[in-house]
Amino acid sequence: MQFSFEFMFATLPALIRASGVTIEVALLAMLLSLSVGTLLTIVRAFKIAIVNNIVGLYISFIRGTPLMVQIFLAFYALPSLGIRLGPMTAGILAISANNAAFMTEIFRGALTSIPAGQIEAAASLGLGPRAIWLKVILPQLYMRSLPAIVSECTVVVKGTALLAIITVVEVFRTAQQIGSSSFRPFETFAAAGLVFLIISLVISQFGMWLERRYQLRRGT
Amino acid sequence: MFDISVITGNWAYFARGIGMTILITTAGMLLGFGIGFLVALLRTATLLPLRIAVGIYVEVLRNIPFIILLFIFFYGLPFAGIRIPSQVAGTVALALFCSAYYAEILRGAMAAVPSGQIEAARAMGLTHLQILRDIIVPQMWKFALPPMAGTTTTTVKESSVLSTIAVSELTYQGLIVQGMTFAPFEVFATVAGLYWIFTAVLTWGFHRAERAVGSPEMTEVIRSKVARKYLSLDHRM
Repeated sequence: MQFSFEFMFATLPALIRASGVTIEVALLAMLLSLSVGTLLTIVRAFKIAIVNNIVGLYISFIRGTPLMVQIFLAFYALPSLGIRLGPMTAGILAISANNAAFMTEIFRGALTSIPAGQIEAAASLGLGPRAIWLKVILPQLYMRSLPAIVSECTVVVKGTALLAIITVVEVFRTAQQIGSSSFRPFETFAAAGLVFLIISLVISQFGMWLERRYQLRRGT
Repeated sequence: MFDISVITGNWAYFARGIGMTILITTAGMLLGFGIGFLVALLRTATLLPLRIAVGIYVEVLRNIPFIILLFIFFYGLPFAGIRIPSQVAGTVALALFCSAYYAEILRGAMAAVPSGQIEAARAMGLTHLQILRDIIVPQMWKFALPPMAGTTTTTVKESSVLSTIAVSELTYQGLIVQGMTFAPFEVFATVAGLYWIFTAVLTWGFHRAERAVGSPEMTEVIRSKVARKYLSLDHRM
């Protein structure tokens, strides 16, 4: 059999339509993991030994186990604890839980780069903890970790392909369906690869644009 | 709640699974490191088309989900007239995947070796191969090892994706046991625990290796006996 570029391009419209689900999942997971990551960072800063140990254990578990197994845990194992979720919800939950751990580590790194003098200045001006977090630390935290957040974005997008295994019909699952009904899996998966390549490219370009835009504010 | 008999009754599956995972990740990482090293060298090639081709190789492999790479590779091989068992195909796909990451790390690590040393070596008449073997490679490890630790654990984790092409590694064995016992919680907790232990051992190994070659910031300090006395807090050095 010959590789058919014609067939490959013919599958693109269906795959691009399916990428709506991929992008939706990725966006939700990004938003969730950014919020959870921020929350965990603030919680960690309180330095309560037990809480920090639990957060540490959580991060270690997430970083030490495959996303695929985490997805299986969310989809197959949670029901035996009485939590029943659809494939889409379980998938978003697993990817968010995964990415939140990496986000927390990114924020931890960015936190150390904030000059101590700023916090001293803020405290001496009479700002409370709430204002220090919201007005001084967090805006800079996000700015400083922008490149890392953007690269996490592509990691999340790539992670969504694994949701095909728990029957979420995104780009990869659509490709599997087309591939098995047309007996041309090679072309279809190549087309799916192309779709992901384009999404990644758009994200990294958008990231660069954001970085340029906020370069002055970041003061670097 | 947690039915321990699921583990004790099927331990042979899990043992075979982690054995297979260790085998394919070790083979994949070694092969991937070799390819990555070559790619890193080619990225400094003088021939522009070659440099561009290698750059595309790295970007494509880094930006497509591993599961899709695996399927392209797995279904593309018959097109090239190659028929190999899924374990071998999966291991090679894993190697290609991590080679792109290793290539970027090694390129950075090689570039971090002071250029003055390379100029000096060239002035003394060392050949390219000698410069690579005696000057660059011995010194690149301290820059390469810390990021390599991350890539290596990522490779171990991505190897779970090989379960989708029926390679009998840990995740696949877990799915088999779960099909027999209908105890997903116990099964996937065990599978996750085994991965956790494996990656923890790997991370520990890399930490040991990093200490042996010294961190980039500390090299100057370690080299100088006087500086080490004052500036190092690690009693083992």
